[in-house]
Formats: sequence, structure tokens, C-alpha cells
Amino acid sequence: MSANGKSDGYDVIIIGGGATGAGTARDCSLRGLRVLLIERFDFAAGATGRNHGLLHSGARYAVTDKESASECIKENMILRRIAKHCVEENDGLFITLPEDDLGYQATFVKSCQAAGIDAEIIDPELAKRMEPSVNPSIIGAVKVPDGSVDPFRLTLANVLDAKAHGAKVLVYHEVTAMIKEGDRVVGVTVVDRKTKASHNYYAPLTINAGGIWGHGIAAMAGAKVDMYPAKGSLLIFGHRVNNIVLNRCRKPANADILVPGDTICLIGTTSSHVGFDEVDDMRVTPDEVDLLLSEGEKLAPALATTRILRAYAGVRPLVASDDDPTGRNISRGIVLLDHEKRDGIPGFVTITGGKLMTYRLMAEWATDLACKKLGVDKPCVTMTEPLPGSRDEDEMPKGKSFIVKNPIRKSLEGRHGELSSKIPSGNEYDASLVCECEDVTVGEVKYALSELDVNNMVDLRRRTRVGMGTCQGELCACRAAGMLAEAHDCTKKAKDNLANFLNERWKGVYPIAWGDALRENEYAEWVYSGVCGMKQNDLR
Amino acid sequence: MKFDVVIIGGGLAGLTCGIRLQKNGVKCAVISAGQSALHFSSGSFDLLNKLPDGSDVDCPVEAAGKLDALHPYKKIGELLGFYADEAKSQLIGCGVDVVGEAGANTYRITPMGTLRPTWLTMSDFTAFPDGNSLSGKKLLIVNIAGFLDFNTKFIADSFESRGAECRIVAVSLPETERLRLSPTEMRAPNIARALEPETVLAALLSEIKSRSEWADCVVLPAVFGLSDLAPLDYMRSVIGKKVCLVPTMPPSVPGIRTQLVLRRAFERMGGVFMLGDSVAKADLKNGEIAAIYTENHGDYGIKAHCYVLATGSYFSKGLVARPDSVVEPVFGCDVDYEKKRADWYDSSFFARQGYMRFGVVTDDCFRAVKNGKALANLYAAGSVLCGFDALQQGCGAGVSMLSALYVADKIMKG
Repeated sequence: MSANGKSDGYDVIIIGGGATGAGTARDCSLRGLRVLLIERFDFAAGATGRNHGLLHSGARYAVTDKESASECIKENMILRRIAKHCVEENDGLFITLPEDDLGYQATFVKSCQAAGIDAEIIDPELAKRMEPSVNPSIIGAVKVPDGSVDPFRLTLANVLDAKAHGAKVLVYHEVTAMIKEGDRVVGVTVVDRKTKASHNYYAPLTINAGGIWGHGIAAMAGAKVDMYPAKGSLLIFGHRVNNIVLNRCRKPANADILVPGDTICLIGTTSSHVGFDEVDDMRVTPDEVDLLLSEGEKLAPALATTRILRAYAGVRPLVASDDDPTGRNISRGIVLLDHEKRDGIPGFVTITGGKLMTYRLMAEWATDLACKKLGVDKPCVTMTEPLPGSRDEDEMPKGKSFIVKNPIRKSLEGRHGELSSKIPSGNEYDASLVCECEDVTVGEVKYALSELDVNNMVDLRRRTRVGMGTCQGELCACRAAGMLAEAHDCTKKAKDNLANFLNERWKGVYPIAWGDALRENEYAEWVYSGVCGMKQNDLR
Repeated sequence: MKFDVVIIGGGLAGLTCGIRLQKNGVKCAVISAGQSALHFSSGSFDLLNKLPDGSDVDCPVEAAGKLDALHPYKKIGELLGFYADEAKSQLIGCGVDVVGEAGANTYRITPMGTLRPTWLTMSDFTAFPDGNSLSGKKLLIVNIAGFLDFNTKFIADSFESRGAECRIVAVSLPETERLRLSPTEMRAPNIARALEPETVLAALLSEIKSRSEWADCVVLPAVFGLSDLAPLDYMRSVIGKKVCLVPTMPPSVPGIRTQLVLRRAFERMGGVFMLGDSVAKADLKNGEIAAIYTENHGDYGIKAHCYVLATGSYFSKGLVARPDSVVEPVFGCDVDYEKKRADWYDSSFFARQGYMRFGVVTDDCFRAVKNGKALANLYAAGSVLCGFDALQQGCGAGVSMLSALYVADKIMKG
């Protein structure tokens, strides 16, 4: 309860629905705190969903940043246990090309071992047999325990568990002001982006987990956090070229990681400083695409002839230092700011820096501080307690299902783990496919619409992979829009949604629109602008 | 093998050209790689709906004069109206039943239930004179249960906004239920195939009839008549009231039928249709094509007096976009395109896209240009041509058919 007696019954307000915010919401609610989680768009809509999806072993940071490296390997091992439905245990190779210095390999392996990372030098010939797509001219290879992680699934699993422990979650709600009493933050003013209605929420503690947007959130509270927006662009290819993560064994540079994940693989990233005015609408430039391709082909030459599905960019929430224009050498370490101590603003904490890999640890740190401030003495259990979807195999769905094809059932179970028992499949309609590239059923879409806070088709894509496959939503977009119209009983909104989905899809495609990507898009234009007669002013 | 004319591409342009030539006794072969853009037809043919400045076109024949100089219609010039009428009568003569006039656009229904201007509409569908024709009508919108590519709610919403009263029902038959067991089978052509036996269609229609007493008009997805119009005629006679079909998401049943009907007409006239083949290489001598070689016929060359390039745009691989260029892959003809890739696109999906205008450069009578010079015996027709935006201007089908007819006449006049 705040000084003047206002209370909503919340102990803590968490701003930001990325992995860190969702993880903090989970940790706080597991420790018995009453949580309000506020996200201005959708879960994982920022940097959380705009990276490699690499389950770092930490090897990449071993030479330059030992602290980050050892955090990574610890969290890597934890996520394999608690989030196994989000993780693919693919392993990784750090390869040395003839143009690289083979001498770096020894330093690399030594640093890995010092950080607790199981790095093993292997014969390049063996490496080629393990991963046939790798550049055949490699002169060195080191095997490390890298993997892949689905950031959308991971974030959602944290949200689901937070909700199961009493957290309230608001998506499409934007914090527009901090409510202060004197210097103390006692709550937030929030605007519902759909209805434009404004509402005040109160809690003794507010945690800023806004990623790069945390800069602005801190400013609302009167604190200055010097963030350094570093844009990273990536390309998604149409299928899995590699099954083992490929990295360059050299100092971290551009486009030197190729990660397989689900049905696709990803190359990235670039790194460039951008202004805060750009962070809401990142666009990939032709130069970045060319760089990613030319460097990517050095890891796996087959990329030169592999279809690219889309390009995207995220913004790393690095905490700035003044002497590095590229942002590469800033520590990826976790930054926890107690604004009471730092700036004399009680009731306000910022958790930032870090990376997807360390989201759980960041949440643990932030929750430890919250508990200390709120006088709660309960230990963190998130390093051992599995997330929903990664629990008991015995809870996998049984009983009558109309899904006769095993791969479809496997897709659902892979995406939702034991929660797939909640997905309707008891009749032909629920078992029929909406998205044929990714095996998404009507039942899965229904489940997402009713249980997973889906407001629009882009949200639906993050929950179910609708439209993430080769055709990038050619026909399933229209089908899903129809289902959205029924679920929300609003046709106009669903049509707007379809138009926005197509535009969002095009945003990722036009930077790489040549070859088959352009063919596919010409077809999409014919179907939607031509046959369906949709127009520019359908966009709202 | 020797022909008078070899046409590369078996879509709307290639077949239109082939039929006109063959009808006049010119011996033709059409080399077709497979499906064409007709397979996702809207059921209508556009002639010209918009000028480049964005203004709407009511009378395509008059408005064509205002197009810019590179547009294929400019090469047809005064003869545009003549060729538009010829295209329509050739379609009807082949068995593609269409209504519409080049002098006045009508409206077609889209799968979203909206109305868009068009020129010719297949008899499956209703061509509306304007947007007010639905006011006061009672419409029963019928879907086949489980068919996701026909969006009843969107259609009802759009019709209601035009003053109609709508009810939605879903019907199912054992034959369509069987399709649903495999989750990828509920596509328009598969449903059309399931409904082909007369007993199945009769069962469906009696179900619809029993539910349609209230309605003035029955609205159905276009899943009837995959190979001919007989199921449509039968349906109309049984239901006994106005039936309005709405196009589905692709593949398009009327489009597939049109492709089949045109191909049959061409073959009936004696034309040779080589399905599943494509041109591998060509011999060029003295500024003209001496022979072409196909994948299926290997070193056994195909010769003709004239060749027609009707290979379509990117989708049909008539044009191939590379990261730094756009090429015509069969003969290496000159392609008009923007040199900087950033100029190929607009960042909004629905805005005008630069790449849509790219295509093969031709001289005044559609002879394809290579290295700056027109090849003497190679013509180009249809969406492989440069200088128009089929979507923004709504002129794709018109350019395909009119340029094809024009080229056929040029070839015959020698």
C-alpha cells in the first residue's frame, strides 16, 4: 500500500513482456508476490524475438568477456532442464577458415575451459562428417554445447506460469507515466492501446524490464539510464541447411553465426549504432543483406543457393559506454539498477543489459532485489522448476484425436509440450490444417485465441508459427483471419489484421526479394491485391 | 520438328495467340512448363481499371490513350477496341462464356466479398453494373462445412454493408466429409471433383434448396464445374432462384476450367500442346532464332518461322530476378529494370511495386529486343512485357490477350 492509501493489491508492477519481464513475472509470482505484467505490444515483440534464437554455450564470449561466458553456460544447462520444449540440443562448431588465424583456437579453448564450457578440438574431417554443410576448406574445428532456443515459446511459457501463480497480464497496454509521491514511484499510468482508455495501477515496487525501451521508461521516473541501441540484422533461410550451430573461431564479428531452429536456419548478425527514433521500426538495408550473405557463405557455401525467407532486425539493449562506436565491445553482462540507491528514487528498479540466454538469471537478480525491498524471504526456484510445456511426459494428450498424421501431432507437442492436451482435436474441423507449411491446426489456433492472449495475426504467428513457413502465410493468413473474425466476432478488425499481417510480412521480405522470394511475393500480390482486391487504404 | 510458329508459354497469352493463328491455318506448337496464372484467376478479365496517376477508369478503351508511352496498349493504339472485341469473341467461340464490354467496366465480387471493377466476367459469376445491386436482397450464404478458403463472415459483412440481409449456413455431405480426413484436401478443386458425380451434386443441391426458402439469392463458393459448365447449369435449374458464386482463394475452379477449355480448343484446331516441357537453349543466327531445344526433346531441335515468347512474369519464371539484375532466361532478351535494388520495392505491400513494371523490351510491333536490336522472328506477348503494372492498373488479362492477338496478326501479315 502506498503512502496515500491507494492500492490495487499488487506488490510489484513489471514493465515489458520480453523474456526478462516474463521471467521476472514468473519468479516474483513463484515467490508469492502479487504481480502485474504490462506489455505495450505483444510478448517477445522486441529484442527477445529478434535475435538468433541461439542457446549460447558462452563460447562466443569466452575470450572477451569471461563473466558473460560463465553465466551463459550455467543458464544453458538450466534451460535444457526447465525449458526442454523450447530447446533443441544441436551442439555447435567453432570453425577456423584458411583466412583466420589458427593460433586463436588454443586461446579460445583455454578461455572456454576457464569459463566452464566443455570445448573440444576435433579433426576438421570429423567436423565435416558431423556437419556436411560446413565450408569444406576449414582448417580447424572446436565442438561446444551450443543449441537453439525458441524465444517466443520460452517467453510464453514464463507468462503462462506467472499467470498460473496469480499474475495479471496486460498486453497492448503502454505505460505513459510514472505516478510519484515525492521522489518515490508508487504506480504507473497505463493506456490501453485498443480502447485508448487510461488507467492508474499502484504497487510499492515497479520493475523496468523494457529492453531498449527501458531508456524511456527510466526517464519517466526521472532516472537516466544510458542505453546504447545496437541494431543487429539477420536473415532466415527456407530450410535447415545445417543441423549443428556454426560459428567462426575468431573475435566476434559480423554474420558469423548460423543457427538451425525448427524448420529453418538463421545467419546473423550485423551490428550498428542506431538512434532511439529508429528503434520502433527497424528495417534491414540492402548493404546489410549483402554482408550477411557474403559472410554466411563462408560458414556454409550452400547458403548462396538457398532460398531466403525474410530479413529482420532487433535492437540490443546494451548499456552504453562512450568510447566504442560499434557496440561490440560493451559487456553483454547483466545490469541491475536500484534507483533508490543510485538516483534517490525509491520504488523503482531497472533490469537491463544481458541477453536472451541470461533472462532467467536477470529475473532472479531482479526478484531477489524486489523480495529484499518488500521484506519477503523466499528462495528462487526457477533454476530447477520446469516451465509449463516441459513438465511430465505422462501428461501428454491421450484419448480420441482426429489428428491422424503423426507429424502434425508431433508439431503440436513440440510447440506446446504437455499443454498440447488443451488443444482441441476431437473432430475433423479442429484437426484440419490452417497453416500447411508449419502444420498448425484449427484446434491450435482456437487454443491460442482463447488461452494465449492473442490480439491479432502477428501475435498468432508468434504463438503458433502460423505463416512462419516457406510460403510466409500465403493462404493460411486468410484462413486465420477468418477464424479471428469469428473468435472476436468482428470482421472489420480481422480484415484490418490481415492487411497488417501482409504488410508486416512484406517488411521482412522486400530486403531479400529476388529469386523465389520475389516469385512468392508476386503471387501474394496477385492473390491479395488482385483476386481479393485489397488496397492500400485497407491498412490502418 | 518444324512448325510455322512456336509459342513458348501455355497460359492466357500463349493460348490466345496460338488459337488465333491455328484458326487461320498457321501451324503452331505451344510449349508449356505447367500451370499458368489462370490457375488463380478471379473469374474475371481486367482490361484497364486505373491510370498510373491512380484515377479510376470507367471506359477502358477511351482511357487507354492516357497511358504512358511504354505501356503495351500504346503499341496497339487505335486498334485497342477492335482487339478487345476480338478477344471476347474468341473466348466465347472457344467455350469460355463471358459477359462485359470494353466500353464500360462492370464490377466483380472478390473472395473478400468486396466489389472491384473489371471487363469480362465468366458466366459462373455475376457482373454487377454498380455497387448498389445488393440493396434489400435476402442472401443465403452457403459453405461446404470445413472449407476454410471461402470466408462466409467477410462476405456477409461486406454484403450487409451494401444493404443486403445475410444468413450463413454450412452443409456437409459424406463425400466432402471424407476429404476432411486429410487436413490438406479441403481445397476448391478437390471439392469440385468430389461434387462431380451427379448424385452427389443432387444431394448437395437438395440440402441447399431445403434451407433457402427465405432467400432471394443463394451465394456459394465457386467450387462447381472443374472441366465444363454442366454442373453450373444443373445447379441453377435445381435451386430455382438466383445463384451468385463467389471466387475462392486459389486454386481457382473456373480458372482451371478456362485453361483446360482454351487448351482443348487449340488442340481441336490442330495445334500441338507440349505440356511439361521447357526451352533449354536457342540457336541465334543473323539476328534471328534458327531453332530451339527443349528439355524433353534434347538435341532434337524445334524450328519455326516465328517464335512467340509468352512465358509470363516472375511467378512463371518468364522473368528471373537476381540480387543485382532481372533477366529473361530463355533468349537473354533485354529487360527494362531499375539498376538499384532499393528501387524495385515500396515498403508497403499494397503500394505500387517497381518490379511489377519490369519486363522484356520490344519494338513497336512487339518484336523482342536483344542487345539493343529487335530479333527478326521473336515476338513477346503477355506479362513478360515491360511497361505496365498489371495490379495497380488492373490490366493483366487485357495485356495478355490483346498483345497476343496483335502479335498473331503481325505474324500472319508477315
